Amino acid sequence: MRRALAAAALIVAAVLLSVPGATLYYESGGGTGCLKCHEMQTLYDTWHSSSHRGIACEKCHGGALTMDARFHWNNVTRVYSHLRGDLPEQIGFPNKYVQTMVERCQECHRQEYAAWQTGPHGASYARVFLDKAHNTKNMPMDDCLRCHGMHFEGGIRDLVTPVNRQGPWSLVRPELANKPTMPCLTCHQMHREGPPLKKTSVEGRVPGPSQEIARPSLAWFDRRTEQYIPVSDLPMPAMLEGARAVKMSPDRRQALCYQCHAPMATMQVGSGDDRTGLGVHEGISCLACHAQHGQKTRASCATCHPKMSNCGLDVEKMDTSFASKDSRHNVHWVKCQDCHVKGVPKKKEQTVQAGE
Amino acid sequence: MSSKKTMLRRRTFLGAGLSAAVAGASIACGGGGRNGAWRFFTAAEAETVEAIAEQIVPADRDAGARQARVVAYIDIQLTRHFKRYQKAYRQGLAGVDRASRAKFGKRFAELAPEQQTEALIEVEENSREFFDLILAHTRQGFYGDPRHGGNHNRVSWKMVGLPFPPVRGRQHYEDQPKVG
Repeated sequence: MRRALAAAALIVAAVLLSVPGATLYYESGGGTGCLKCHEMQTLYDTWHSSSHRGIACEKCHGGALTMDARFHWNNVTRVYSHLRGDLPEQIGFPNKYVQTMVERCQECHRQEYAAWQTGPHGASYARVFLDKAHNTKNMPMDDCLRCHGMHFEGGIRDLVTPVNRQGPWSLVRPELANKPTMPCLTCHQMHREGPPLKKTSVEGRVPGPSQEIARPSLAWFDRRTEQYIPVSDLPMPAMLEGARAVKMSPDRRQALCYQCHAPMATMQVGSGDDRTGLGVHEGISCLACHAQHGQKTRASCATCHPKMSNCGLDVEKMDTSFASKDSRHNVHWVKCQDCHVKGVPKKKEQTVQAGE
Repeated sequence: MSSKKTMLRRRTFLGAGLSAAVAGASIACGGGGRNGAWRFFTAAEAETVEAIAEQIVPADRDAGARQARVVAYIDIQLTRHFKRYQKAYRQGLAGVDRASRAKFGKRFAELAPEQQTEALIEVEENSREFFDLILAHTRQGFYGDPRHGGNHNRVSWKMVGLPFPPVRGRQHYEDQPKVG
């Protein structure tokens, strides 16, 4: 009887130890161990040529020396699927891991994390999907997930209930309430090809000739294909004001913004969720005014004004939506004529025309 | 004596447990890498499929089937939705290489492009069913959604000028603020 018990205990111990044992073995190779599971080859190749190649797999994906039983159980199910030959089309990254990753990004990118977390792109599932003011006017729908909760596995009915404009609304999975809907991995692809990461210099962080414009990881996570599209491949819209072609900034990073802050098919400025600059702000990049990660604009006016002011007035105090949300003059589209309703004074009009 | 026996048992138990764990880990680790980077194909079969697909959609100023990684699409799907075609591929690819060897003394993937064209015409005539199968799968892998393993970097969509992902706004129920 004792022998049988000892044998059973031995088998259980062996099984329990073999899981972290195998994971440790994989980790010890600095990435190459992960390739023992041949489905990982593509992911390994992209990581190996990425700007994060100096950072070991376990730094972002978690190490084997954890007491988290789900982590080990997950590995067991993967081995089982592997041995059965029941493999997914592509190795995806479940939403729960995306959320975990956010915390790991923070370990190195603290300033960016702080700015993002306090900005509109750090909005949680509860903030986005349980907003009464929004839901009574715009019914929650699957398309919301294109820009909010793009890593969520499932449709809107798996996330919000009821799906109507009456409410009251609640999350089907309450554990997501405080999780971000637009995590780092929305606009950054960790395995994106690029030079090894270097810390941005002080000059690179502030507007000017040495400012760092783009990081190699900039890419859009497309929910439909479950793939990242690099910024260089994202389409830039040709915007219109009536029949007139609007002058566009050549800043390619805007292609990321346009994936969500997008116009309707008419490509008219201001249609849909579009906020393309018009009037006095035509041709200016979104990121000329909106700070990366935090999207704050408060300090941005001073970059151009009062040097470029035509009126000599303090632009921050003018009657625009920058000074007050209730203003009729949206700062994205404000024109000289909005205040000079009887016509722009001649002298100033000439100045404006010369400036154009 | 009794205590020594217990110690021995404990040591034996721990030793045996660790050995079993190492063995278990080795079995788990050793299970990988059956066909290198491929799920179904052998390395040689993958080369043949890639060469056939490149003959069907050759690269010119735009990317061809090789760059679109059509072979990856077919390989993945043969372990999923195309499981029923596994036998057809195994036999069909062996047949293509056999015919190439008989005519040119080399495997299909080792032939010059002109010889490959000639060999493939023969395959089309003599193994019509297999040719139609790989032709259909090549088209799917080249033009299909990249999530299924082919159309790498959306090369065919770029070729036809399809902007992806589309810039597509949403009509709000409430009125938008008027511009201007």
